[in-house]
Amino acid sequence: MSSEGIQNGGMAARSKASVIPPHLQLVNVWKRFGSEPNRTVAVSNVDLSIAPGEFVTLIGPSGCGKSTLFNMIAGLLPPDSDGSILLSGQPQPDGALLGKIAFMPQKDLLFPWRTVLDNATLALEVEGMSRRKARAKAESLFPEFGLMGFERHYPHELSGGMRQRVALMRTFLFERDLILLDEPFGALDALTRAMMQRWLLDIWERHKRTVLFITHDIDEAIFLGDKVMVMTARPGTIKQTETIALPRPRDASVITSPDFMEIKRRLLASVEEESMKTFALSRDAADRKTMS
Amino acid sequence: MTMRGRILTSPPVTVLLVALAWLAVVPLFNIEPRYLPPLGDVYAEAVKLWPDLLAGFWRTFLETFIGFIAGALIGIGFGTAFAYVRLLERAFFPIFVALQSVPVIAFGAIVVIWFGNTILAKVVIALYLAFFPVAVNTLRGLSGVNPGRAALLSSFGASNWQSFLMLALPSAAPVIMTGLKLGISLSLAGAIVGEWFGDTVGLGVLLLQALYFEQVTRVWVLIIACGLLGALLYGALSLIERRYVWWQFD
Amino acid sequence: MAIRLNGLRTALPVGLALAGLLLAWEAAVRLFGVPAFVLPGPSGILVTIAEKSNILSAGLLVTLTEVAGGFAIGTFIGVALAIVLVLVPPLELMAIPLVIAINSVPSVAFVPLVLLWFGLGMASKIALAAFAVAIVVLLNTLQGLKRPESEAINLLRSFGASRFGILFRLRLPAAMPFLVTGLRVGLARSTIVVIVAEMMGGYGGLGQVIYQATAMMDSLTVWAGVVVASMASLGLYGLLVALDRKLVWWR
Repeated sequence: MSSEGIQNGGMAARSKASVIPPHLQLVNVWKRFGSEPNRTVAVSNVDLSIAPGEFVTLIGPSGCGKSTLFNMIAGLLPPDSDGSILLSGQPQPDGALLGKIAFMPQKDLLFPWRTVLDNATLALEVEGMSRRKARAKAESLFPEFGLMGFERHYPHELSGGMRQRVALMRTFLFERDLILLDEPFGALDALTRAMMQRWLLDIWERHKRTVLFITHDIDEAIFLGDKVMVMTARPGTIKQTETIALPRPRDASVITSPDFMEIKRRLLASVEEESMKTFALSRDAADRKTMS
Repeated sequence: MTMRGRILTSPPVTVLLVALAWLAVVPLFNIEPRYLPPLGDVYAEAVKLWPDLLAGFWRTFLETFIGFIAGALIGIGFGTAFAYVRLLERAFFPIFVALQSVPVIAFGAIVVIWFGNTILAKVVIALYLAFFPVAVNTLRGLSGVNPGRAALLSSFGASNWQSFLMLALPSAAPVIMTGLKLGISLSLAGAIVGEWFGDTVGLGVLLLQALYFEQVTRVWVLIIACGLLGALLYGALSLIERRYVWWQFD
Repeated sequence: MAIRLNGLRTALPVGLALAGLLLAWEAAVRLFGVPAFVLPGPSGILVTIAEKSNILSAGLLVTLTEVAGGFAIGTFIGVALAIVLVLVPPLELMAIPLVIAINSVPSVAFVPLVLLWFGLGMASKIALAAFAVAIVVLLNTLQGLKRPESEAINLLRSFGASRFGILFRLRLPAAMPFLVTGLRVGLARSTIVVIVAEMMGGYGGLGQVIYQATAMMDSLTVWAGVVVASMASLGLYGLLVALDRKLVWWR
């Protein structure tokens, strides 16, 4: 497939999205911290939309404001008043997003005093479901998440990959159609990570939720996503959106295919340009410090 | 700790080793009884003192236990209030930390003036001594909740009360346990000293009498009794900790 | 935890709270006509401190000497023992049960014994304070000395460092924060044990002042003694906090 083909695929996806309202839409979202003389702009002018059932990956250099953006979508941080976040076409005032989006932070953040099973049911308990019902519901998911037999274990007894699966199960059990994942596999070794990626796609294809997935790994972004968005260096904004028309279901061989390589080449150039900017910025700051 | 270290520090082995060392050291270095009487003499003295010893042990235990429980409950209450009302914390917490380093036992004299030579006076002293470390540690634990976990819970739509029960309290529990362990040792010391201001029953009373009659052997019996009581109280808390609060604070 | 008193933002609420507490106390005492032997007001206590400044300052001097002497001796013994134990592991295995046994006895229970050994003078108080400090410092320093991971120790050994080289370059710096914690706990314990020992038997010191006043139901002097003792130990605590910042600057 030529690069034109990919562009066309992008057009098709966009026209389809305009028929059904996008699941999540950000319009001119900004986040500025502090007041004028030493104001930092973490996120500037972000526009994005995600169609229902779509798997979107977001990639950018470290410190580009990904996490700030993420916290705004999760409802933990209000966006500045000149922008808005819409969920299924409905604008969301401050605080309204809390409890509407299934959110999985970078660290697994399991509660060490709860068993694997009780960690998985955390969100259900918050919603007021009885412990017995919540447990029954979670137990049925254990085989699928590869955690059979570990229900009564405590988090410290699990490997990193297993802990991450527990955290994912907790997120899935909080049954919201939109799932936000913040570098969920960032701390895993390469082999475990590749396995988890394929497993996540499998789960996603079966449950058909909308996913926004943040990562700093280009291979991961392309392998998982229907769409890859590239963020610029701070202040973060969406620089480029690349539709990934690679056929699904995807397996490990996709990564070595020419199409994949072609997309990767293009994205890499774009991401590296941003990384260089952050590097230069921090060098400038260091220079300024040594001069003063 | 190594396996060997763990065996050596298990309570029965510790008691055995100390007893053996005692038996060996007295004849070996020819230690005078006024410093360290032979273990056999100490045992004989304990047998002679048995009814008083038992009554004193029980009385001092009661004073410590009641005072400690009350002090711990009030301490947890204050610590929680401080953790959730920032102004209270900023105004009173430094005073609390300062009061912790003050020789609070001296206040025992005042308490005895207020309550006389009653069991209540010792309970109040024990309460007062347990209160500060528990309050300070409760605040420390509750305000050290991992912000990531807190954000996660609020993204699930948890109420403040749910966050307190599901997250803040369990994650503060190890720190509170540390405060309780500090508090129980102080409570015991407070009860013993409180008895010196005047009473008729208790390990502290017996200690004072032994001092007046210069009975070194009896003093050793009472030191062992105090150590036993201290170890029992502390050990009970450690057991509770190991069983119910085994996770680490982060 | 270090209390940072610099900055009005922290000092103001504390100052207001303190002033408020004292005012409320004074007002309550005056309003309800509480007799001084039940609860004297802060002004009454201040007046008593001024009136009895002779015996109070004499007592304070004795108590401070005992605490300082015991603290210095105890710190030295505690650190020295910890170093010996960490250099000679078999010794540590033998000593630990003994230290644990001693540590489970509330330190005030040793007061009568030490009074019988060293008499009612200052020596017994210094010995008690030294003992209380040494135990805490030993346990804390030992924990700190054993803190460095074996990888770091192996790294230094691969550079050809000797046992003492490892002690000075790695173990002692790592133990510093623990030592300071030990000193802080030890200071609190030694002030308590000194005052308690003075109460139980002695010729001077704030503990003796407080004890005699209690026996005579002289509530004002009891309060005055307690307040002076508290101020003194707060001052010592402040010194330690300052020392902490000097010694453990990297925290």
